[in-house]
Amino acid sequence: MIDIDHVSRQYEGKRQVTALDDVSLHIGKGEMVSIIGPSGSGKSTLLNLMGGLDRPSSGEVRIDGEALSGLSDDGLTRVRRDKIGFIFQFFNLLPTLSCLENVGLPLHLRGWGRGKVHERASELLNLVQLGHRTTHLPEELSGGERQRVAIARALSIYPPILLADEPTGNLDSRTGHEILRLIRDLHTRLGSTVVIVTHDMKVAESCERTIAIRDGHIVQDLRR
Amino acid sequence: MILLKLISWPYFRKHVLRTLLTTAGIVIGVAVFVGMHTANQSVLFGFNHTVDRIAGKTQLQVTAGETGFNEEVLETVQSAPSVAVAVPVIEAVVDTGIKGRGSLLVLGTDMTGDRSLRDYDLEEGDEAVIDDPLVFLAQPDSIILTREFAEANGFGVNSTLALGTVLGPRQFTVRGIMKSSGLSTAFGGNLAIMDIYAAQRMFGRGRTFDRIDLSVRDGHSVAEAQQELQRLLGPGFQVDSPAGRGRQFEAMTAAYSMMINISSVLALVIGMFIIYNSFSIAVTQRRSEIGILRALGASRSQIRWLFLGESAVTGIIGSAFGLLAGLVIARAIAASIGTLMRDVYGVAQRADEIATDPRTLGLAMLIGVITSVVAAWIPARQAAAVDPVQALQKGKYQVLSAGESRLRAGVAAVLVLVALVCLVGSGSRIVFYVGFLLVIAAALLLGPLLALGLARLLRPLLRAIRPVEGSLAADSLIQAPRRTSGSVAAVMLSLGLVVAFAGMSGASYNSIIDWMDGALNPDLFVSPSQDVVIRTLRFPQEMGQEIAAIPGVSRVQPVRNARIVYRGTPVMIVATDIQSLSQTVQRKPVVGDAETMWRETAAGRGLTVSDNLAELQKIRLGDTIEIPAPHGTIRLPVVAVVVDYSDQQGTILMDRTLFQQYWHDDSVNLFRVYLQPGATVPDVKARILEHYAGERQVFVLTNRELKEYILRVTDQWFSLSSVQIAVAVLVAILGIVNTLTVSITDRRRELGVLKAVGGLHAQIRGTIWLEALTIGALGLILGLGFGAVNLYYILEIVHRDIAGMRLDYVFPVRVALALVPTMLGAAFIAALWPAESAVRGSLVEALEYE
Repeated sequence: MIDIDHVSRQYEGKRQVTALDDVSLHIGKGEMVSIIGPSGSGKSTLLNLMGGLDRPSSGEVRIDGEALSGLSDDGLTRVRRDKIGFIFQFFNLLPTLSCLENVGLPLHLRGWGRGKVHERASELLNLVQLGHRTTHLPEELSGGERQRVAIARALSIYPPILLADEPTGNLDSRTGHEILRLIRDLHTRLGSTVVIVTHDMKVAESCERTIAIRDGHIVQDLRR
Repeated sequence: MILLKLISWPYFRKHVLRTLLTTAGIVIGVAVFVGMHTANQSVLFGFNHTVDRIAGKTQLQVTAGETGFNEEVLETVQSAPSVAVAVPVIEAVVDTGIKGRGSLLVLGTDMTGDRSLRDYDLEEGDEAVIDDPLVFLAQPDSIILTREFAEANGFGVNSTLALGTVLGPRQFTVRGIMKSSGLSTAFGGNLAIMDIYAAQRMFGRGRTFDRIDLSVRDGHSVAEAQQELQRLLGPGFQVDSPAGRGRQFEAMTAAYSMMINISSVLALVIGMFIIYNSFSIAVTQRRSEIGILRALGASRSQIRWLFLGESAVTGIIGSAFGLLAGLVIARAIAASIGTLMRDVYGVAQRADEIATDPRTLGLAMLIGVITSVVAAWIPARQAAAVDPVQALQKGKYQVLSAGESRLRAGVAAVLVLVALVCLVGSGSRIVFYVGFLLVIAAALLLGPLLALGLARLLRPLLRAIRPVEGSLAADSLIQAPRRTSGSVAAVMLSLGLVVAFAGMSGASYNSIIDWMDGALNPDLFVSPSQDVVIRTLRFPQEMGQEIAAIPGVSRVQPVRNARIVYRGTPVMIVATDIQSLSQTVQRKPVVGDAETMWRETAAGRGLTVSDNLAELQKIRLGDTIEIPAPHGTIRLPVVAVVVDYSDQQGTILMDRTLFQQYWHDDSVNLFRVYLQPGATVPDVKARILEHYAGERQVFVLTNRELKEYILRVTDQWFSLSSVQIAVAVLVAILGIVNTLTVSITDRRRELGVLKAVGGLHAQIRGTIWLEALTIGALGLILGLGFGAVNLYYILEIVHRDIAGMRLDYVFPVRVALALVPTMLGAAFIAALWPAESAVRGSLVEALEYE
C-alpha cells in the first residue's frame, strides 16, 4: 500500500540537516503500524512523505503503486484527498466551522453536494459518538472530543490510508486510550491501513508492527 | 534606541513587505501633499517670476483691474511730485504659430522712458534702434526677442517674425536680442518687446494702456507715493507694488488652492490609516514578544516608546521618499495645472520650473512624521497596556469585545447627535466644520462595527457561492475585525472622498450645461484669440456693424468682459447690450424677477449679479453695490441674482453703455452672432472669416465648439477627481495587500489544514480572493454610504467657502456603479500575490506553525 524506496530528505538552511537518510520501507494493505523514535529522529518527516505533505530530496514514495515524485502539487492534493486521512496532534480543526462543517470539509473540497456531505458527516460524527455535537464549534469541545472530530474528518472519505501524528500526544492518558481504541476499532471495521507516529510505547505496542527510527535511519522493524 | 535595534530592526527585516506597505502609506500621503502644493506653487512662482522680471526697477504699478485706462491717466501719474519715472505698458499674449513654442508674451513699452525701469541688456542689434528710442518708434514693426527664443527658433537680427494680432498675422522685424538674464527669463523666455503705440494698434487697445509702471522720486517713500497716487486717481484705480499682482493671482486661484488643500489633507489622513492599521496588526502579532519583554523587565513606557520610535523612523523614511515622489509628481503635473489656470482664470503664465519651497518640503516632512507617530499612538498605547501573562497565552486579541463595541456605538451615536445639532446651527462656520469633523469621526468609529455586521450578513451568501472558501473568507473577517477594520476604514474614507467629488463634479457639470443652454445660445462667437478666455486682444466696436452686415447674420451682441477689483477680490464684469440679450436668452433669476432684471439692467439703473458673487460677498437683492471705475464709482442696486459660471469669484452683469460711461472703453472681447432663419452656420462662419482675411485676426467658434471648449475646461478642472480615484484604488490595494498578508500569516495553519485535507491550489486561492473581494465589498458599501453624507458637506463647503455656488444634491450613481468593478478589481489585484504566497507556502511548516 505504501512503498518508501531509498528515500532521503535534507533541509537546506545555513547548515544542511538530514532528516531521513536512504530509508526503504513497505507497509501492506490493512496493516496498523506505529513509528517511534526520539525527537528529531525523522519519524514525522517520514509520515509527511507518506502523506504527500512533503517531497523527498531523493528516492521514491509510492501510494497504492502510484509514484508521488512526478505529481504536481494539485496531483499530490488529489492523492491525499482520495486516499489519505490525517489525524494531527493539535487536532487542526478550523475554529470557525462547526463539528459538522469540519467533518464535511474534505467532502466539500471534493465538490460533493450539501445533502450528501451532511449525511456523511452526521454518520461519521455518530460513529465517533459525537452525534449530539454537530453544531458545536471546536472551542466548545474537550480535547478528546476535538480529536474525535478530527478522526471523523480524517475518515470522511473512507480513506484506504489513515496517518496519525501523535494522535494522543495532547490528551490525558484516559482520553488518549479512548482515542486509540477508536482508531483500532475503525481500522478493524473499515480495513484501513493505519500509520501512527508516537512517543508513547503503549500506543506503539498496541500496533501489530512497530518501526523505530533514529538519526534518519530505520533501526528496528518489529512485527508482533 | 537599543530596543529599536534589537527588537524592531529584526522585525522589519523579517516582514520586509509589510514594512514597505506601511511606509507606502506615508509615501503616498506626503507625495500627494508635496506634488500638488509644489505644482501649484510652481505655477504661482512662474507668474510671480514673470511679473518680477518684467517689473525691473518698477516700485509701483497703476492698474484698473484688467480693463486698462485712457492715455491721459499717464499725465496725471507723471505729474505727481513723488513719481520719478512713469511709463505705460501693454501686455498681450499672442500665438506665434511656431509648433511646440506655445504663446509669446509681448510687452508694449514706451522706449523713451522705459529703459530707466527695465534693463534690456541687448547682446546684439542695431545700436541706433537701441540708443535712440525714436528710431524704434519710427519703425513700428520693430521687435526685440530673448536669446533663448531667438536661438530656439532660428531668429537673428533683421529676421522677420509673424505674430497673430487683431489686424491679422503681421510681420515684425527683429531689431535686437536680449541676453539670457533678468528680463529675458520672464514667461519662460518667450518674451518680446515692442513699442507701446504699435502694441495699442496691434492688440486692439485704442487709446488706452493696460497699466503704468513707475519708480518713486528720491526723498519720497513708496508708501507716500502710493497714497498720493491713490488720492489723485481715485478708487477706480489700484496702486500697488508689482508683488500685488501675485497676490491678486493667488486670490483668484483660491478655489483651486482650497481643492488642493482638501485633497492633500485627505491623502494624509488615508496614509494615517494605513499606518494605524499596520501598527495595530504589528501590536497584535507581537503580543508574545511584548509579553516576553515585559516579563524581562521592560516598562510600559519603554514598550510605548519602542512603537512610537518605529513609527517615527517609518515616518522619516516614508516622508523622505514621499518628498522625492512628490517632486516627480509636481514635475509631471505643473504644466497641466498651468494650462488649467490659464483656461479657467484667463491669466497666462508658464510653469517651466519646479519651485521647490523649502518651507513646503519641511512642512511635508514634519507632517509625514507627525502623521506617522499620531497614527501609531493608539497601537503603541495598546502595546504598552499588554499584560505579560495574557500576552504569553494564545488569545482572541483581534476580536472586538462586546463592551468595546457598545462603547464605540455609544460614542458614535453621541457624535452623530452633536453633528445634527451642529447642522441646525450651521449658520456659524466653525459650528458647521465641527459638525463635519464629528461625522467623519462617527464614521470611523462605526466602521469596524458595520464591517463586522456586514461580514455576518454576507457569510450566508458567500457560503452559498462557495461552501468552503466562502465560509472561511467570511469567518476570517468576522473573527478578526481589528485586522480588517483599518483597511476598510481607509477604503471607506477614500471612496467617501471620490463619491463627494464626483457628486460635486456631476452637479457642477449639470449646472454648467443648464447655464450654457440658457445663456450661450448664439450660433457663432467671434473672438480675437483662439483662446476665448485670453482677454489681452480686443476688437474695436465698429466690427459689430461690419459683422451685422454680413449676409445671413441677424443679430450681433458685443461683449466686453474684464476682471476688476471689487471689495479687494478680483471679480468679472460682463458688459453687453442687455436689451438685445433679453430678447435672445432664457435666464430665469434665482432671486428677483426676470422682467425687472432685464428692464432695470438694460436701462443702466441696476446690476445683475451671479449667485456665487452674492453668496461670497453676502450681497442681497436690493443692496446697493459700489464699483469703483476709472471715471467714477458706480452705485446701483442689485436687481436680480442669476446662475452664472463666467468666473469663480463672481460676475457682475451690466449694460454696455454703463461700462463705456465709467471706463471710457468701447473695445470688445467677443461678438455673439445670431443667424437669420435659413442661414447655415458653416456658410456664415466662412463669410466672416473671408471678410476679415488678411485684415484682422478673427476666430469664429460655433455654438457647439464653444460649449465643447467650456466642458473641456470643466473636465480639466474636475480631473482632480481622477487623481483621487487613482489614490483611492492605490490605497485600497495597499490596505488589502497588508490585511491579506497578515491574514495569511495568522491563518497559516488553517490554510495548511485545508491543503492537507484535499484543498487544491485553486480552492486556496479562491479563499483568499473571496476574502479580498469581501474586504473590497465592505469598503465599497461603507464608502458609498459615507460618500453620500460627505457629498452633502462638500456641496455646502463649495457653497459657503469655495465658489459660492448652490449645487443640487445628486448622488453620483454612475460613478458609484463604476466604482464597484474598480474597487472589486483592485481588491482582486491586491489578493493575487498574497494568494500565491498562501498556495506556495510549505505545508509541513504550516501544520507545525505555532
